[in-house]
Amino acid sequence: MTFEPTIVGFLCNWCSYTGADLAGTSRVKYAANVRSIRVMCSGRVEPTFVIKALYEGADGVLIAGCHPGDCHYQEGNYKALRRYRLLRRVLPEYGIEPERVRLEWVAASEGERFAKVVDDFTDQIRRLGPLDIKESIAQSLIDDVVNHEEEATKDIGDVNEA
Amino acid sequence: MKRIEIDPITRLEGHGKITIFLNEQGEVDNVYLQIPELRGFEKFVEGLPVEEIPRVVPRICGV
Amino acid sequence: MKLKFGIYWGAACGGCDVAILDTHEKILEIADMADIFLWPLAMDFKYKKIRALEDNYLDASFFSGAIRNSENEEIARLLRRKSKVMVALGACAHIGGIPGLANMYTREDVLNRVYRESESTINEEGIIPREAWSEGEYELELPRFYNTVKTLDQIINVEYYIPGCPPVPLQIYSALTLVRDGMLPPKGSVIGAGDRALCEQCPRVKEEKKLTGIKRVHEVIPDPEKCLLEQGLICLGPVTRSGCGSRCIKSGVPCRGCYGPVDDVKDQGFAMLSALASSLDAKEQKDIDAIIDTIEDPLRTLHRFSLAASMLRRKKV
Repeated sequence: MTFEPTIVGFLCNWCSYTGADLAGTSRVKYAANVRSIRVMCSGRVEPTFVIKALYEGADGVLIAGCHPGDCHYQEGNYKALRRYRLLRRVLPEYGIEPERVRLEWVAASEGERFAKVVDDFTDQIRRLGPLDIKESIAQSLIDDVVNHEEEATKDIGDVNEA
Repeated sequence: MKRIEIDPITRLEGHGKITIFLNEQGEVDNVYLQIPELRGFEKFVEGLPVEEIPRVVPRICGV
Repeated sequence: MKLKFGIYWGAACGGCDVAILDTHEKILEIADMADIFLWPLAMDFKYKKIRALEDNYLDASFFSGAIRNSENEEIARLLRRKSKVMVALGACAHIGGIPGLANMYTREDVLNRVYRESESTINEEGIIPREAWSEGEYELELPRFYNTVKTLDQIINVEYYIPGCPPVPLQIYSALTLVRDGMLPPKGSVIGAGDRALCEQCPRVKEEKKLTGIKRVHEVIPDPEKCLLEQGLICLGPVTRSGCGSRCIKSGVPCRGCYGPVDDVKDQGFAMLSALASSLDAKEQKDIDAIIDTIEDPLRTLHRFSLAASMLRRKKV
């Protein structure tokens, strides 16, 4: 069976969420792997959100916002771009492939484009395979377990009693 | 063989444990000093920008 | 009635213990306030005495240092059982501290570097510490060196946190008086520190953050009046708890976050990543990337003290 990735999509209210809506109402077929979360602006998506999504089990995170110059709040999408570029730069240092996070510009009229972005990104994550951070943390802790109840009651002598 | 453990040894920076083995006559047969502590500065300062080293290595010993 | 305290260190440098002593004449008040039952740095008690105590016998235990090996964990659990209140003292117990940086590597990486590869070590047989060793009748044990460094509250329940590397001595004293006077805040609180971000009490003038490049501390002599971040030095002030007395930033050295995150910040390092990225003065991808390329060693800058407490806890292996 092929691996079906779980992708969290943060979609901006004004462009990309509406674009995704359009893809749906236009009955465009695309991968069903993205769980969409509507945010007011791509600039609202903090790196912590992305990390939390990955930690909680997402294999990839898609951030989608208005095209440059089209932000409802003037500059939010530029902020998103800066955070995204920096996040991509640091992710490998934490052992996470930067390709697991993607920022795309999708306008309200771009239903077809939204579908294509999702298909393409899903393919990419499918090739990367599962991330499973919680499992990897659990694995890294397996050897760290020692039976402490037993040790805590173990009686050893000390110099004062010798 | 009798065994005496001094655990922890105190009034110094770091962790230590002394184990003394006595023979049948009650004389010291052998003594071991163990240092059961390691943090691995040697590893995690590798590649650290040199100007940041003075902000990390003082944490080797704060006494 | 006099209180009963235990003071202990896990994977620590002893700086927190010395900070207690650095309360100077207040140490006499601390001696009046409590009898001490364990304090390896300053007094001679053995673990056996602690094991013999009734459960909850100690009013409070102050644990500095991270959980690096099975002995640290064993004594943390022991003190937890013997103490009514458990306090994480200092950055290592609170958020992993500098020892937590070892979470960039595995157990084997660290042991190989220290015992087999280090230039100053002669170890022809390539021996690394073993948990059990014997020769004839002599049998010895060592704690297990863990793969992942942990904060104290990842191992046991912790009531309070006194942050800092090291904590400011007078902050320790004031936290101790809270214990003495029964004025402790709700469990889980950080005590002996401020509740706002360091930036909010920084004396430097803040204007607009428009960074065109990130500087390393030796590359600039910072203007003594202006915000360090605005001068291109990565300073964790925006996401770090106040209470340290601003010792670093007053000396022209940017904050590295030893007081840990402010209350509403979950992950100090990634919150700083957000603040830093937002401050960059560029809109085009290539310009943004050009600035980002000037950032040295982002992991150990963003998570200098808090890697073990971060959401990811360690580098993924």
